[in-house]
Amino acid sequence: MHNEVLTRKQPVSSPRRRRITWAPYLFIALPVLYSLALSGLPLLKGFQLSLTSAKLLNPNGGRFVGLQNYQTLLASPQTWASIGVTLLYTLLVVTSSVLLGLAAALLINQYFFGRVVVRAMLTVPWAVPTVAVALVFTWMMNGGSGILNAVTETLGLGRHEWLTDPTWALLSVTVATMWKVTPFVMLVLLAALQAVPIELVEAARVDGANPWTTFRVVTMPAILPSLRVVVLLMTIWSFRRFEIIWLLTGGGPADATNTIVVGVYRTAFSQFNLGVAAALGMLGVVMSLAVTVVYAVVERQGTER
Amino acid sequence: MRQRRLFLQSVRGVAALAMAIVAFFPFYWIVNTSMTPADELYSGGQSVWLDLSRAQYAFQILTTESPFLRWLGNSAVVATGTTILSVLLALLAAYALSRFRFAGKGLFSFIFFSSQMLPEALIIVPLYALFVSLQLLNQPAGLVLANTAFSMPVAVWILKAAIDGVPLEIEESARVDGCGPMKTLRYMVLPIIAPSIAAAAVIAFFDSWNEYLFATTFMRTKSLWLASTGLASFQGEYQTPLDVVFSGAFVFSLPAVIFFLIVQKRIVAGLTAGSVKG
Repeated sequence: MHNEVLTRKQPVSSPRRRRITWAPYLFIALPVLYSLALSGLPLLKGFQLSLTSAKLLNPNGGRFVGLQNYQTLLASPQTWASIGVTLLYTLLVVTSSVLLGLAAALLINQYFFGRVVVRAMLTVPWAVPTVAVALVFTWMMNGGSGILNAVTETLGLGRHEWLTDPTWALLSVTVATMWKVTPFVMLVLLAALQAVPIELVEAARVDGANPWTTFRVVTMPAILPSLRVVVLLMTIWSFRRFEIIWLLTGGGPADATNTIVVGVYRTAFSQFNLGVAAALGMLGVVMSLAVTVVYAVVERQGTER
Repeated sequence: MRQRRLFLQSVRGVAALAMAIVAFFPFYWIVNTSMTPADELYSGGQSVWLDLSRAQYAFQILTTESPFLRWLGNSAVVATGTTILSVLLALLAAYALSRFRFAGKGLFSFIFFSSQMLPEALIIVPLYALFVSLQLLNQPAGLVLANTAFSMPVAVWILKAAIDGVPLEIEESARVDGCGPMKTLRYMVLPIIAPSIAAAAVIAFFDSWNEYLFATTFMRTKSLWLASTGLASFQGEYQTPLDVVFSGAFVFSLPAVIFFLIVQKRIVAGLTAGSVKG
């Protein structure tokens, strides 16, 4: 994959590089400055805030307190619980959505009657706005007349307070999230599957390979790059996901769904403590960065092989 | 053999259909709830079948008794602004990243990619502090600026993937005819990648349309709220009947669902290409 990119680019750009070196910078200056101003600058500002005692009502009037906010956070069991919840939520969402998305993609990649309709129906959840997702899952999962309870009761699994019982809340939030993000996984993997040369699959079949062997030896290696990307994106997006958790449970009950980003928001806008919120935010950024670095290392090993 | 294939096909069809029904159900339930009288909802008597005779009832109450249409209008204004700004900036960046080799290219790509790692909920604390200093609270323009920071990078990837696919000969011939890079981009590249620009525009528009956190934090006055904030505000208050709330949810979701279904392929191609190569 990398080779292909390089060979395509080399002859294209080296002659031009000699002629006009300023052109690319002229093109890219504005968007880069924009990104730096709107996400780089806030990041620096966030770091600065994290060293102060700033309060929401007077965000720029905090006193410098050094690393005190970080010390407070690291000493608090709530922070560690929240890191745990973030990791568990990420693990559950990534595993379930990738497995389910892969299954759906493999299914849709085959021909059957009504495939176009099925594919469209499977794609819909991805497009539904988060606020609407939260409304309908709150309604379906409510402990009284929610339809989920009607289903689980019929199946003999009993009735539950899905979103207000600490035992179930994180799982319920995971299910709602999974519902929304799985179509994206499916679409990405479907695109990869459709690029697998059909001759290879046919050849394997002619050689007498059973479907499972064909999948393992032919299909899987071909879709592996896409699979890696989709796992990375799902992981990063799970780390940073705020809206659906906030709207379904607000981080409760009893902090059962209090991920780091939800914690940041609560600390800032319910406890009005901008300094501590910014420090917690910085911990979150460091965690996201760590994931990307791990990914970059894994990716490099993958391409070297 | 033929029979066996037919059998396998139907098994697949049934499995896929079952999956599709489960996946589609919550969206169907939004529609269903919006068409069920509120007292039936609260008493647990919601039927799984649609009562189409009540299709418009809740929506009429929604539009007459809440500022929902006004909120939808606000959403459209902010989303339009975000789309124009995102696509314009992204076109410049995508062209540079696709067609030139230059020092710092990797760094610039990383700057765009890193916006995917920065949680909005973390950025919002310092951004709030900045917006207070710049008096951008309650300003639709402020919201456009904030949203663009997150939707532009996605547009960059979609457009870069599209420009990568434009044959170079076309540009070479333009250059021979004496066109500068800007003119080449405008007259030669743009018309060819128009479908991808449309896809990038759709995703930027609905990113902003669906966005809740920035909208709720920065727009404090109720008449300036966007539809996402307004809709979420119905949750947990008991003045607005549930069927009315869900008719709002349906009207709010429908445009997003339709447009995403149309452009999904290009969005997927752009997002993954950006992460693989970026």
